Amino acid sequence: MAETRAPVHAFELDATLDALPCGFFSFDDDGTVAAANSTLAAMLGYDRAELVGRQVETLLTVAGKIFLQTHLYPMVRLHGKAEELFLLMRRRDGGDVGVLLNAVRRERDGRGFIDCALMEVRERRKYEDALLRARQAADAANAALEERTRALEAANERLEEQAIELELQQHQLQEQTAELEAQSEELHAINDELLERSEELERAKNVAEEANRAKSQFLAVMSHELRTPLNAIGGYAQLIDMGVHGPVTDGQRGALERISRAQRHLLRLINDVLNLARIEAGRLEFTFEDVEVNDLVNSVMPMIEPQMAAARLRSIAAVPAGLTVRADREKVQQILINLLTNAVKFTPAGGTIRVTADSVDQHHVLVSVIDTGIGIPGDKLASVFEPFIQVDASHTRQTEGSGLGLAISRDLARGMGGDLRAQSEPGAGSTFSLLLPRA
Amino acid sequence: MPLDVLARNNVKVAGSGKQPMLFAHGFGCDQNMWRFVAPAFADDYKLVLFDYVGSGKSELSAYDATRYASLEGYARDVLDIIHALDLRDVVFVGHSVSAMVGVIAANREPDRFARLVLIGPSPRYINDPPNYVGGFERSDIEGLLETMDKNYIGWANYLAPAIMKNADRPELGAELTESFCSTDPVIARRFAEATFFSDNRTDLQHVRVPTLVLQCSEDIIAPNTVGEYVHRETPGSTLRVMRATGHCPHMSAPEETVSLIREFLESPVG
Repeated sequence: MAETRAPVHAFELDATLDALPCGFFSFDDDGTVAAANSTLAAMLGYDRAELVGRQVETLLTVAGKIFLQTHLYPMVRLHGKAEELFLLMRRRDGGDVGVLLNAVRRERDGRGFIDCALMEVRERRKYEDALLRARQAADAANAALEERTRALEAANERLEEQAIELELQQHQLQEQTAELEAQSEELHAINDELLERSEELERAKNVAEEANRAKSQFLAVMSHELRTPLNAIGGYAQLIDMGVHGPVTDGQRGALERISRAQRHLLRLINDVLNLARIEAGRLEFTFEDVEVNDLVNSVMPMIEPQMAAARLRSIAAVPAGLTVRADREKVQQILINLLTNAVKFTPAGGTIRVTADSVDQHHVLVSVIDTGIGIPGDKLASVFEPFIQVDASHTRQTEGSGLGLAISRDLARGMGGDLRAQSEPGAGSTFSLLLPRA
Repeated sequence: MPLDVLARNNVKVAGSGKQPMLFAHGFGCDQNMWRFVAPAFADDYKLVLFDYVGSGKSELSAYDATRYASLEGYARDVLDIIHALDLRDVVFVGHSVSAMVGVIAANREPDRFARLVLIGPSPRYINDPPNYVGGFERSDIEGLLETMDKNYIGWANYLAPAIMKNADRPELGAELTESFCSTDPVIARRFAEATFFSDNRTDLQHVRVPTLVLQCSEDIIAPNTVGEYVHRETPGSTLRVMRATGHCPHMSAPEETVSLIREFLESPVG
């Protein structure tokens, strides 16, 4: 850039301008200085003649140049004037001079000139610096305050949201609590009702048990009362048969035989009823001991042999040695005799009756009586253990019995901590299994 | 939304032509700076003038410090206006910082632009040694910001009575309407930072619109070397070095400015 250029449009200043205490200069739209007073020249360290023809920018700091191009010149060009602008000018020796400047654009001979009057600001500049710093500090503090306010507002908003949420949750909890209370009341009502029913049931059960005990007692007493006259009938019939009361005719002997047979049947019936009554009355006592199953089976088989032979049946006992149960020996024998007697009764000639025994698990032994008899229909299987039941009424005559044997047997088995179960297939035979606790 | 944009950016439409000519002012002033140039094109073009948000008579309430922290935000103002008026085939005339704003906008939506006229462009004001001379050091810009602060102390005091709607001094209002290029000091400072700390050198190579670079002689803000750099980096651009000096040829030498633009617009494309 040329430091100087021909001051083509320079003009002479009125001498009075030189006498002013403030600086004055004028430049055209191209930025060429056209005139300057000696006050300005002195301020910047130039001869007055040196200023004319220079580019105005050479008299400004870099910041001042930018400000001139972006603010001062456009303002003056568009508005015609600019007032009280602060500008940093540059002295010849490189130092800065802060000036306060008023500018007016004037036309001279058809050309635009910007006339500037300015004064140096020293003290004022200090105050302005302080003012600026104070304002910047205030702005920063304000910004920080705003930032903090925003943060507080955000936090507050969050808190409010949480409060609303909490309130909602509380509402829900209250609703749920009310619901639970209602349910609880309902449950209480149901519970009361159940308790009432339970008490009713308890009472009914007590009544039933009392009635059952009374029945059993009645039966026991009655059985005794019946047995005494029956024994008398049997005894006297026997005495007559023996001829104690004089000679007996063949016709009389036949009649005595019938009386004796009826007496025996009646006595067995009464004995069974008495047994059942005793068990149900809870008066039966058990004597537990370790009993070898093999022994048991061997002890009962001979008792039943004559009947088996008479019915032309084959018997097979397959019991492993060393299998021991904890039970009442006599009661088990009674059960086995009952089961074998039943098997003989319901198995046609030529059939087979097997007795087996095996351990079911660590704690139980199963003793089974298996026949090849007529069997029991599925729908009747469950009721064979009921008292006074015989499956087929038509068998009653040929197979006499009280119908109490299986009921008594199962009660006895249960009394020893075991059970009695039946399996059967009509026409193929039945299996009665006695479950007993292992010794 | 188009009406909002037009009010927001104080958009003025004039002229009897069809092809739009969009004039974008530079930092420190407003659309008034075009008043010596724009009327010359009124017969042949549709003239569209506006103030960036934060400048002139734009709606200061629309100012968003984040959006206008970079020139991208100002380019969005340009595109908003183009969409609001549905301008196509636009001749964009941008002064100083607006030259680069135009480049960014044209790269974003090249189909909307016919030609770019860049007056005193600079893609980067601060030197980037060893290969790039922008003309300034960072400390120079900081000096400018301080000078602006100093002046706005005075301006703020000067404007305060008007802002407070002082009914005792009605002449203030009249004075203000004539007070061109007055700006909110905080916004002006941020605009200065967005302008002088920008670096948009890489945007030049993406320009696909015929471009005229008007370079002033002895321009302190955008020196000759910068104008040459812009011409070299912008594909298919034309560089014209003007007789006019300084940084504001559209104000100091409007006739030369008008004739160079007209010459460019009448030259065949490609």
